[in-house]
Formats: sequence, structure tokens, C-alpha cells
Amino acid sequence: MRYERPDTMQAATALLAGAEAKSFVLAGGTDLLVRMQNDDFEADLIVDIKAISGMAKVTETDDGFVIGAGVPSVALFEDTALVAAWPGVVEAANLIGSTQIQGRCTIVGNLCNASPAADSVPALVAAGAVAQVAGPSGTRDVAVIDIPTGPGKTSLAKGEIIQAILLPKPNARTGDAYLRFIPRTEMDIAVVGVAVNLTLNEDGTVIAARVALGAVGPKVILVDTAAKAVIGSKLEDVVLQALSESCSAACTPINDKRGTVAFRTQVAGVLARRAAQTAYTRAGGK
Amino acid sequence: MMDKQMAYDIISFQLNGQLVQTELNAGERLSAALRDKMHSRDVKIGCDAGDCGACTVLIDGAPVCACLTPAHQANGREVETLSGLFLENQHAKNLADSFQNYGAAQCGICTPGMMVSAVALLNNNPTPNSDDVANALGGVLCRCTGYRAIIDAVIAAGTETSPYDAKGHTGAGIRRLDGLQKVNGTEQFGDDIAPSDALVIRVIRSPFHRACFHFGDLDAWAKGTPGIETVLTCVDVKGENCFGVIPPFADQPVFAEREARFRGEAVAAIVGLASSIENFDESGFPVVWEERPPSMTVFEAMERDAPLLHEHRVGNIMCGGFVSRGMPDATLNNSDATVEGHFSTSFVEHAYIEPEAGFALVKDGRVEVYACTQAPVMDLDELEKILGMQRADIRIVPTGIGGGFGSKLDISIQPYLAIAALKTGKPVRITYSRTESMQSTTKRHPAEMSVKIGASKNGKLTGMVFDGLFNTGAYASWGPTVSNRVPVHASGPYVLENYRAEAKGIHTNGPPSGAFRGFGVPQAAIAQESLFDELADKLDMDRLEFRLLNVLENNDETVCGQVFAQGVGIRACFEGLRPAWQTERKAAEVYNSKSKILRRGVGIAGGWYGCGNTSLPNPSTIKSGIRQDGTIVLHQGAMDIGQGANTAIAQIFATTLDVPVHQLELVGPDTDITPDAGKTSASRQTFVSGNAARLSAQALRKDIIKLVNAPQNAQIEIGQGEITISDGDIVHRIDLALLTPDADGFVLRAQETYDPPTKPLDENGQGEPYAQFGYAAHLVVVEVDTAMGTTRPIKFVAAHDVGHAVNPMLVKGQIHGGIAQGLGMALMEEYIPGQTENLHDYLIPTIGDIPPIETIIVEEPDAHGPFGAKGLGEHVLIPTAPALLNAIKDATGIRITNVPATPSRLRAAIRMHYKEQASG
Repeated sequence: MRYERPDTMQAATALLAGAEAKSFVLAGGTDLLVRMQNDDFEADLIVDIKAISGMAKVTETDDGFVIGAGVPSVALFEDTALVAAWPGVVEAANLIGSTQIQGRCTIVGNLCNASPAADSVPALVAAGAVAQVAGPSGTRDVAVIDIPTGPGKTSLAKGEIIQAILLPKPNARTGDAYLRFIPRTEMDIAVVGVAVNLTLNEDGTVIAARVALGAVGPKVILVDTAAKAVIGSKLEDVVLQALSESCSAACTPINDKRGTVAFRTQVAGVLARRAAQTAYTRAGGK
Repeated sequence: MMDKQMAYDIISFQLNGQLVQTELNAGERLSAALRDKMHSRDVKIGCDAGDCGACTVLIDGAPVCACLTPAHQANGREVETLSGLFLENQHAKNLADSFQNYGAAQCGICTPGMMVSAVALLNNNPTPNSDDVANALGGVLCRCTGYRAIIDAVIAAGTETSPYDAKGHTGAGIRRLDGLQKVNGTEQFGDDIAPSDALVIRVIRSPFHRACFHFGDLDAWAKGTPGIETVLTCVDVKGENCFGVIPPFADQPVFAEREARFRGEAVAAIVGLASSIENFDESGFPVVWEERPPSMTVFEAMERDAPLLHEHRVGNIMCGGFVSRGMPDATLNNSDATVEGHFSTSFVEHAYIEPEAGFALVKDGRVEVYACTQAPVMDLDELEKILGMQRADIRIVPTGIGGGFGSKLDISIQPYLAIAALKTGKPVRITYSRTESMQSTTKRHPAEMSVKIGASKNGKLTGMVFDGLFNTGAYASWGPTVSNRVPVHASGPYVLENYRAEAKGIHTNGPPSGAFRGFGVPQAAIAQESLFDELADKLDMDRLEFRLLNVLENNDETVCGQVFAQGVGIRACFEGLRPAWQTERKAAEVYNSKSKILRRGVGIAGGWYGCGNTSLPNPSTIKSGIRQDGTIVLHQGAMDIGQGANTAIAQIFATTLDVPVHQLELVGPDTDITPDAGKTSASRQTFVSGNAARLSAQALRKDIIKLVNAPQNAQIEIGQGEITISDGDIVHRIDLALLTPDADGFVLRAQETYDPPTKPLDENGQGEPYAQFGYAAHLVVVEVDTAMGTTRPIKFVAAHDVGHAVNPMLVKGQIHGGIAQGLGMALMEEYIPGQTENLHDYLIPTIGDIPPIETIIVEEPDAHGPFGAKGLGEHVLIPTAPALLNAIKDATGIRITNVPATPSRLRAAIRMHYKEQASG
């Protein structure tokens, strides 16, 4: 197995594109180093992208935020502008592992690992985030929701690396929130995760909504029916009930030791209701 | 390209202020590089997967799991570990003091991770509150302390001075005598002692619950595989390929011979160079498996046509225990009120943060095994049999032990180490991976219990019948002890004149169930204490007062017909809970009147536990002596596994001899030099070894006084090379230089043994199983989110009768730690072979899961205990789980009878309950 630490993105994508057998991108290492211990793990090449300049920065632009692929989660909640703009995204990143893991792990890694339970992914999807993908023939932008295609699988082609996540500037009166369920207070994989992003008009009516679910299907689910249920409302009880029901209806979870199908389905509805209320308050609704 | 590759593979960084340089392999972890290449063995590895946080180090000041950090990425950066911080960082120095003052380090294996994380917190925020601490330390698991002492210690760091007590006698909550090494990174655990060039052993294990197997050409494989020195199988076992902690039931092979009976069972081991073992690909090993259908539950194993795990154990029944008195069936039939229920519990994993590890070598024809253990002399007994060697040719040297809780009573790595060292003639080492540790070592017995209890309308218990099946897994281990203990304890600490309890240990193809804090009693308490609440409710009585009406008092007969004239402290425990019971119930009522989805409830439960072996000899021997220079030496053979035996036994000894405890020099439980103080189990060390220490000190004192013919109450002072004995105005001096030292260098010596007085149980379980019992009662307030099925404990009040608190700080430490484990068992822990074999699928409580705990120490002196002291180690978790289940019932109206009460399970029950209410 070869370890490479290129200092340009071009060199990194060239290495990956030229690899003859299995190759992996290494950022924080929190998923890869665990996988490497498995007896059936095979790789010929590991490309460490942390030495590429600009990878470890969060940049605020006119359009929004550019989060480099090497930015550890801990740096997101130290960025006050980002916290103010996208509190739900930051709180999701703040739920990955522990402080000791957040010092290492990255949201791009969380996305590329393509676990259905990834905490930051529903929040990014609800926020309308875009992945900036670098490849041998240049860069392209892909909506985050289109990156994972199933457990452990992504739409990235050979030689491609996500070099950054782009978060838009939120519109006025926008708020997002992420809630997840785990059986203890911290440090576990989400059994259900729900992200809600709402934009209100001046009188507090929801005019735009995105609702995304994690851990209840093979990949993140954007629930349009849930968004439709809340648009035009002020989250009245009956609306919340409809939101909750449409989220439950969108679930196609597995049955495992962490929760049954019935449990996950029902909890998705409960969390959606609670996350929507938080997002609504954050958007300035009363 | 080549040059570049080379450049990346040699990195340099600042390690604790020193520039270091090392070569790396691709993908090497920082944790491994630090431990193996830089000898920073203060960085502990508990899981290698970021789940436990023990390996936390600072990189440029930020806390990270070293096991998830590619070592290459440390290049050019600043890495700090506990040992460096302890010397240079003021916060670390303050934390070292504070951790010792609060008992925040028990076994010490998580302490480096905890302290390093706390340093990072304090560097940014010197005055954190408890939430700040919980956030910062949330990624570090501790299995001993219950976290509260750690939170308190971090908050208090730098603000308090040590609770120094000049004499340190019993009753004083002094720091651990062995505390410093746990907070400065120098404590050496099982994986910390081997020379770095030792050969490494890796065990080949069954991937199936049950499978036959045969090997290909192992010799050819070993010869053809670079770096492999040898392969071990059952043919390398020169003595008996059979071990077991209870010799008449011994049934477990070191290496399975034809059939593996559980997933993770050892069939072979390879021994080779560290680099070869690390890169070893098991798929190339010449073994062929034939999977067979397993029996995974007691019900499957008891079916008529179920295959027998062990041919001589008909029906897969390993053994049973039985206690009977009075006429339970007739009385239950005529009782005013009866309740009954079936209760199920799961396999529970001990989840100590230190996986089994050790090192062995052959020296002068003797084999020496250095390993973590709870029972060095039992390890010696087992190795004598397995190796077929003279006992005198085997030496067991216990290392520091990073938690045990019962599982490290059984041998695990010891035979592989000894056999490999003898076969290769070279030093060898082994460290289980987290998964191996979880797959192959013992578990708490899953129980299936059917129980019926009756009472008269005035609230007096009339009778009880208990039937329990305990899944003992593939091998006996401590199963016979569980079967015997449960019927003796299943009544709880209450008067029951009509009683029958039967427990059977059933073999399945699960992992061997063995000893785990309480030996089956916590499972039985879940059934009994849950039904007590049901019975009180049925009688419309207050649940606490119902218990108080039925508690054992001095001179009452237990269900075994045993009578204690003093020291029965359960009434005092429950009465201690009464104020909290009344105020918390009122508070919950007020809260619930305003809250529908979040519901609060209060639960109580009691428990008791007999200290030491059940009706069997259980001696401890303690040797002590005085050297010519006046050093007082205590051979402290009671394994300190974090509970504090090194301190408590020394306090008892010092109090009896009447010298300051800090004057003692402790010698540890090396089997070459220290007599057998028995195993650290069954809450026996403070009681049994404590008594042996008391007798040893008494004998030493008598000998000193005899030298000058002074009266027994004379005061002695042992100084540099002399002893001063004061009898009023008369002062004698003994010049120790005039006395002749013996082979140990002692001029005065004593060795005494204590064996607790018990009497055998007859065929109805009547007799005197234990010389003493300890008693406990817990109260807990919970908040249940009925929409999600989550249970959040808010507060515990724990009352424990310890007879005499030898060291109140250590007592508190046991109580907190027991509650954390009881909470885990009640709410989240469920070991499923093949599914939860690591610390991210098997969940144990984290720092955020344990609420504040108020402890009430009750001291009803025991007739036999040293200074009246009773054991405590197991008592601390017995009432926790039923108290939680009772609180959930109080909050929601739902009785959970299948633990753990996971959110998924509780939510399903809530749903069913509302459905029934709606349709009814």
C-alpha cells in the first residue's frame, strides 16, 4: 500500500485517476483508519489531501460559505458567521462522534463515507448545499443530495475528489435545525436524523421549506411532501401533524438492534415536528 | 517520485517538547507510533476505533483520538500526552491533585484520556461548569467511576488542597496510596510492559457460533509465511487442555479440539514478529470450517432434540441451585394478594476499557507471566494444570489492571502466553483487540425468570416462588456460582417464611457467562423488586412503607434460616431514602400535572449480597514484616482492580498496628513473594483480606510488645532503625540493628490467615451461606419522553450499609460506579454475539448519561468484618436496575419486564399500552 501526500488538487486527482487498483482519499481519517483494520480491507493507494493548500479553511464569500475538505468539524462551530447562518448544519457536525473525533473528522468525509446515518448529510441537504467536485478534467458542482447513491456508495467518478462544500447565504428569515435520535446521550450512530430548513415571510408564514431524513433509508431522503405540508402555514398543530405523518411515510428503514422499523418510522415523525419548531423559532417565527 | 515517497515516510514532530523523528508505514496510526516507536505508553488503547477516547492526545493543543489520527499528519506539529503535560502544564498538575482527591481515577486506564481532554478544556476555559466538562469529556469512556467524581475533579482543579490525614486510619477518606501513578501516566497495564521486540501472539477464532473444523498443513504454512515463528493448537497443550474456575465443572479447552462451541472460541494461535502479525491476513490460514446449527437461547438448548454442548450434561443443564422453606405454594394460594411475572435479561459485557493483555518469558527454566488479572493464584492453579508443570516453575506477576468487574477472574490470555513462551523460548506478548475481548471473554448471564409473590392485606409478605433459567453459554465458568447464589438471594433482604427458589444454568452456544458484579443477583433483583412494586400497588400501600414492613431485622431468619444478631442494615437504608422519596414523588406529581409527553417518575429498590464464597472455604493470607531500617512492609496480595484494595487493606493494617498508613511499603501480589489473598470477587477483599491484614498487624504488634514485655495497650512508634514503645511514662526502645533479619530481610514478621465462618447448605438450601451480608437501597428520578421512549435519569439517592466505611471516598467511588453499570444494564446494554462486538455497537453509559448521585453511608457494624466493615463491590449495582424500571412504571404506567429498556422497546410498550387503553 502506498501513501501519498500531494500538495495540489491536480496532483491528487492525477494520482487517483492513475491508480491501478483500489485507492482511498484520506482527510481526517476517522472512518478510513477504522476500515483499514478490517481483515478484508484492501487498498493500493491512500491519497492524503490535508497538505493541499486551502483545504483546511472556511471562507465566507458573497454567495455563502466554502468549507474545505480538510476542515475538521470542530472548526465549524468556532466560525461564528457560519453558526449564525446555518446553526442546523453546525449542530449536525457537532454530533459526529465526540470532541476528540470532531478534532479530526470532516463533513466532506462524512458525506463521502456514504453512511445512511451520517449526521451532517441531512442538514446539508436541507440547507441546499452543493459539493464542489475536482477531477482530472476540472471541477463541477453537484448537489449534496446527489453524492450518496447507497450505503458506502457515491456518484463520484474515478479520480474525483470533493474539494469543498458550498453553503448558500441564507435568505432573510431563514432557520435550520437538525435533531437525531440515539439510545444514549452522546457518541453513537444516528438511528434517525431529521433536518429542517424554513424560510418565513414577514408575518411568519413559511414560504420555503426543505426537510431531509437520515438513517431511515439507504441514503438521505428529501421529503417534498413534508415541505409542501408546511409551506403556507405558521406550523399550526394540524400542520405539524401532517409534517410528522409525511416524514414517517417517507421512511424505508432497516430493522436492527438500534431500532425496529416501526420505531424508526415513528421517531422520524416526532423529530421532524420538534426540528421544525426549532427551525421556525430560529427563522424568527413565534 | 521515489524521493518524495521517502520524505513522507520519515516524519518529525514535537512530542512533549522534544523533537522526535520516526519512520512510518502507510496508514499507521499515531497511537501505535507513539506507543511502539516512542515508548509513550501513557497513551492507552481501548478500542482502536475512536469509541473510548483513552488514547486522547493534544495536537497543537486540540484533543484528538490518536487511534484515528494518521501518524503522517503529525508531521511538523506539536503532540502532547499525559506524561508530558503532567510535568509542564499547570492545569495538568492541578488535575492530578484533584483527580486523586476526588477518587476520579479508579483503575486508571481511562485517566490519561480524561485528563488530557480536561487539560484542553481548562486551557480554553479555566472555570467550566458541569455541562462544559461533560461536553469536553463526552468522548472518553470510563467503566469504573460513574463519571461524577471526574466532573467534580475537573471543576475543582486548582481550587482545593488534599484531604490529607496524618494517620490515614480507617474512617478517613484518604487518597489512594497508589494514586499518583494513575494520574501521571506511569501506571503499567498489561500492554505496557513487554519489550518492543517480543514476539506477538494472535489467536485464530471460530467465526461461527458452532462449527467443526480441521486444519491443513500448519507446519508448511508456518514455514512458508514470513515472520511466523510457530503455530499453537491443542497438541501444544502439554498438560490438560481443560480449564475452569470451579474445578469440578472445568470444561473449557485452551484450544478447541474438534468443534468450536461459540463464536470467538480459540482453535489455534500464531506466534511471530510484530510486523508479520500486524499484516497477517487470516483468510490464508489453513483451517476449514463446517458450520453447525447452534442453540442460542436456553429454550432452544432445552428442547428435547437439542444437541448437547457437553455430553455428560443431560438436557444441557449444567447445574442448579435450590432453597426452600415453609409451604410456599399453599400459602400463595391462600394469600390476599398475589402478583406474578416473567422477566428476561440480556448478555451484558463487562466493557472494561483495557482489553486483556500481557507478556511472558522463560527465565531459568521457569515461565513468568505478566498480565492483567483479578486472581493471580487462580491463574497459577490453572497454568499448573494446563502446562503440566511444577507449580514452583510458574510465576504470575499481575500488572496494573484496567478494570475487571468479574471477567478477569477467568484466565484468557495467560495460557497462550505461557505456551508460546515455552515453545519458542522467547519473550512473547499478546493484546486482545476490542472485538476479541468482547467475543471471547465472559458475560453476565441472560436470565429467564418466572416469579410469584404474595402478601396479606395488611401488607406482610406471605410467600414467594422463583424459577430462573440462566444462560451460561458454552462453558461453565462461574455458572455454578450463579446457580447457587441466586436462590439464596432472590428473596431480597426481606422476611419470607414460605419460599422456594430454583435456578438452573443452561448451556447454549453463546459466549461463556461468568462472574459479573453480583453473580446473578442483579437479575433476580429485577424480578423481585419489580413485583414488590406491583404488590404494594395492588394492596394500595406506599411502595417504600411496604418494603419497610417486610425488611429483615437483627435476629430474623433469612430464607436460608440464617440469623444475624447484629448488622442487618436494610431498614436504615430504606429509612435513609424516605425524605427523598416523599419530596421527589410530590415534585414528579407537580411536574406531570403540566407535562404530557415528558413524564417523571420515582423508583426505589433494595438489595443484599452475601460477601465471600457461598458455604465454601474462602481464606486470605496477609504477610507483613519490619526491616532492620524500620520499614514496615505489607504484602498486599488482594488485587486492586481499581476498587482501592491497596488503600483500604493498608488502612486496616495501619489502624491495627497503630502506625500512620503512609509509613507502609506495599509489596504487590507477585506469586513468588506474596501469599494468596484470594481472588478479587464476591465483595470479599475488604472483609476477608481486610481481616487477614488486621490479624497480621495484630500478630506483628504483639511480637513487638512482647520483646519489651509491655502491656498490650502500649503505644508503638516505628522510626528509623528503631521501635519506641511507650507504656505511660515508661519508654522502651528496640534497636532493630540488633535483631537478625530473615531471608526476606525482616527482623519481625507476621503472616495470618482469615477464613469467614460459614456452614454448608442442606438439600433445602438451609444453613449459613455467608458470614456477612451487606445491604443497599436506591432511589431514582427519571424523565421519560413518551413520544420517543427515552428514559433520562435525573437524580439518584443511594443508601448503603457498609458496616464501617474504611475509606468513605472509595465507598462513594464504588457506589457511583455500580450505579453506572446498573443503569447500563437497565437501559442500554445488550450483548448480541455477532452483532455488538465493539464499543460503537455495544453501548455503555457515557459521561452525559449519569445524573448526580447522592450517597448515604449507613454503618451497622458487622460481627465479623474488620472494624465492623462489610463488602460493597457487588451491592452497588443490585438495586439500580429495578429502581429504574420501577421509576419508568411510576412515570408511564408501563412495566418493562425485558431489559434493557431500550427506547425502541419502551416506545413499543407505550404504544401498545395506549392502544389497549383506547380499545378498553
